[in-house]
Amino acid sequence: MRIEDKLPGDIQDALSKGLLKRIPLTFLPFVNQQLNQWVNLFPNERQATERLLLYVASLNEEQSTALFHEVVELEEKMGVRNWQFSTTEQTIQNSSQLASSPYFQHWRQAVQAVFDAADAHVREANNASAKSGNRLVLLDIPQPLQVDAASVWQRWQGIGRPVQLDLGLTGEHNSALELLLAGTPNPAGLRSGGLLDLARSRPEAAPADVWVVDAGRSLVDALLAPETAGTAASGAILLSNGRLDLYRQSFSHEMNTMRKDLADADAVFDRLRKVDVTPWCPPEVAADPAIREFLRSLYLTGNGAVIFGNSFVEWAASEAFRRARPSFLAAQFGVRSKPKPFTGVAVFDNPDQVNPLPAIDDLPGSAVDARMLALYVWLAAYRYPEYQRSTVCVCVAESLSQAYVVAPPEFGLWKETEPVPLGRLAGALRAWMA
Amino acid sequence: MENGLCPGAEIGSPFVVDPGSLVDHSKRTFLRGAGMLMAGLLLPTARAGQGPRVQAGSGHKIVVVIVGGVRRDETFSPQGMVNIPHLSADLLPRSLFYLHARNEGVTAHFNAISSILTGNWQRVDDWGKLAPTTPTLFEQFRKGLGVDRSDTWVVASNKALTSLIGASSDSNYGPAYGANVVFPKQLMLMAVVDALRNGRTANMADRSKVEAELESAMEGSNYEGLGWNVFDASDRLDPRVRGSIETAIASFVRGGGPTSGDELTFFMSREVMRKFAPQVLVVAFSDVEAAHFGSFALHVSGIRTADRLAYQLWQEVETNPDYRGKTTMVILPEFGRDPDGSSTNGFFNHRANMDSTRDTWMMALGAAVDKPQIVERPIHHIDLCPTLADLLGCPPLDSQGRAIGEIRG
Repeated sequence: MRIEDKLPGDIQDALSKGLLKRIPLTFLPFVNQQLNQWVNLFPNERQATERLLLYVASLNEEQSTALFHEVVELEEKMGVRNWQFSTTEQTIQNSSQLASSPYFQHWRQAVQAVFDAADAHVREANNASAKSGNRLVLLDIPQPLQVDAASVWQRWQGIGRPVQLDLGLTGEHNSALELLLAGTPNPAGLRSGGLLDLARSRPEAAPADVWVVDAGRSLVDALLAPETAGTAASGAILLSNGRLDLYRQSFSHEMNTMRKDLADADAVFDRLRKVDVTPWCPPEVAADPAIREFLRSLYLTGNGAVIFGNSFVEWAASEAFRRARPSFLAAQFGVRSKPKPFTGVAVFDNPDQVNPLPAIDDLPGSAVDARMLALYVWLAAYRYPEYQRSTVCVCVAESLSQAYVVAPPEFGLWKETEPVPLGRLAGALRAWMA
Repeated sequence: MENGLCPGAEIGSPFVVDPGSLVDHSKRTFLRGAGMLMAGLLLPTARAGQGPRVQAGSGHKIVVVIVGGVRRDETFSPQGMVNIPHLSADLLPRSLFYLHARNEGVTAHFNAISSILTGNWQRVDDWGKLAPTTPTLFEQFRKGLGVDRSDTWVVASNKALTSLIGASSDSNYGPAYGANVVFPKQLMLMAVVDALRNGRTANMADRSKVEAELESAMEGSNYEGLGWNVFDASDRLDPRVRGSIETAIASFVRGGGPTSGDELTFFMSREVMRKFAPQVLVVAFSDVEAAHFGSFALHVSGIRTADRLAYQLWQEVETNPDYRGKTTMVILPEFGRDPDGSSTNGFFNHRANMDSTRDTWMMALGAAVDKPQIVERPIHHIDLCPTLADLLGCPPLDSQGRAIGEIRG
């Protein structure tokens, strides 16, 4: 089947009428990549691409020239036509050429203005904002990561407030987040009442609406365990850094073969864009092509996702917000090792391979990382209008028995002054999501 | 609408929390706290162990310490001072401190450092495949005053640099007038790769054997892979330099201290100062770039390391008779980093067109500092090169930057 045949009819129609000829050169890598990847895009991304293309298609020639006028003018000034510039996909060489241009920042603004115009057009056409249910971002800095009560929430700059918890965690469970997501076991050992079950079964839940990201593997292992599998986990996207060891190591091994050269970097990236990653995936990822591709893209865009579990959590969550706009996202941070002597920080995919000294946990460093990255996850969500209202963010610091809560005033625990048992927290979150 | 058009699929959208918004208040607090406050032609082999030689031009010496990307928030701010005890307490009171040193060029490593070294905003390939397009300080100094290559050195940790950082593509200047360029961290990485390839990884866990691995990495055909450029030796290390590097490696390995790339860069720089006493030495530290991998703790640890090593370099300047009393040392970051909440993933990167990324600081110490003070007037990174050229006695430069008035010989 041709790629065009997989596209919606209205886009096919617009393309057949020469839509791409009206798109500026520097837009083409993005547009072509989105169209080529259509089957692997999340619903939110498809809608966004469709909005842009149909908006351009709706314009007459004069209007579309006006829309892209500034971008085209900047392309002329930058001399894009004389570059080795790929129009089929976004490459490192493209990025490097754009970023080195003195007009780069102007170009960025001009591009954003085009997208803003498309958005404004859609808002006018719909004449009302889309309805969406309540959203929840649930973060956990687990027990081994000791955070300092005086400074842990400082960078949140008072956008929420700390709430004392009565966690009552026992050794049987890995984390507070596990209990919140999977629910508590009944006398028969089966779990029920978990937030994950509730979130995925909401009537308005769309595909890719529920995400769980784990810096290690214990959380996702627990969610996939026989006593919870088939209920809580199904329909949710589960990403475990630990369970993705093979995927990650295979990727970073390839990246380490790269010479310091743009052409070579693009060749390696091209190979990694095409390689069949299915054999490297755990079953919960292998089964879903969109998630396999999400991870491929995640690892290719860097930001430490192939190196550190906590970076994986932050970048995966940020990309999930950007691309899928989930209504429920839970993330658990974890522990990384100290860099090994003489190996350089984070250069090699498997430090144990290059230095046989035993790995040593860096608990204080991991706590500092998690503290910062938890905030970054929330800030990544808050960038989008969908999360600027009707969204609760709860970040649990288990070592302090405390949660930082960012929420609208109507959220149940907003004014709580007494320690809140975990069951009550779960109840409040269930009520919010119901 | 968020889109994926920009490098790294990250394009500008309003950020939510900008630590830069604290700057005004921070600045006041900071200011209160701070208120306390033809020559040269001898061969290197001949230089070592001999008496003082005649210096070119003014005889002034320059040490420039360039740190990777660090935000004001983690350095010269009330909450950041804890990360830079030496800069803020030991050096600031005796320095000319520029509160705003702006990078208005490309905020990527090769372009940022080459802009500092040429006095012109460079827009070349970020991977160091193209030389700066206008002459570096080294070339102008060497060509203008007939100075030997041994008097100009770059010692750098940053993996984004190549030997092309030492000379421009300007046909009137070029590599014939360039600096010696060495990348100690690259040596360390090559040693690890060699050990891995040859089944000797156990050696990397044993300090007594690491030294041999590092020395092996610098020998023979391996040298080319290091990307160094020392005394025109294209495929093997100039024998005049070998002894110095071996001494630096021994200090690094046997000292029992930390083992990061910046530590080795420090030992190598100090050894270059002791053996060659160059008139222009540029040292680039980059442990802070662990931020790219998302570890804030390792990034801050890199800042503390750079703070300590910059101070130790200053101590060397003050105790080394070749430098004491006639040296100006300048310390500055390449740029800041992106603000928390930016669409470019905050401290991880340095791509945002915002003050958090562009507005840094600069500290000058030593012979060219008449009166320690804090200067609030913004300067630009490209102002440094003409300033240093003046100090060295170079002929006037064709530079976009302007000499900084307070720094004078």
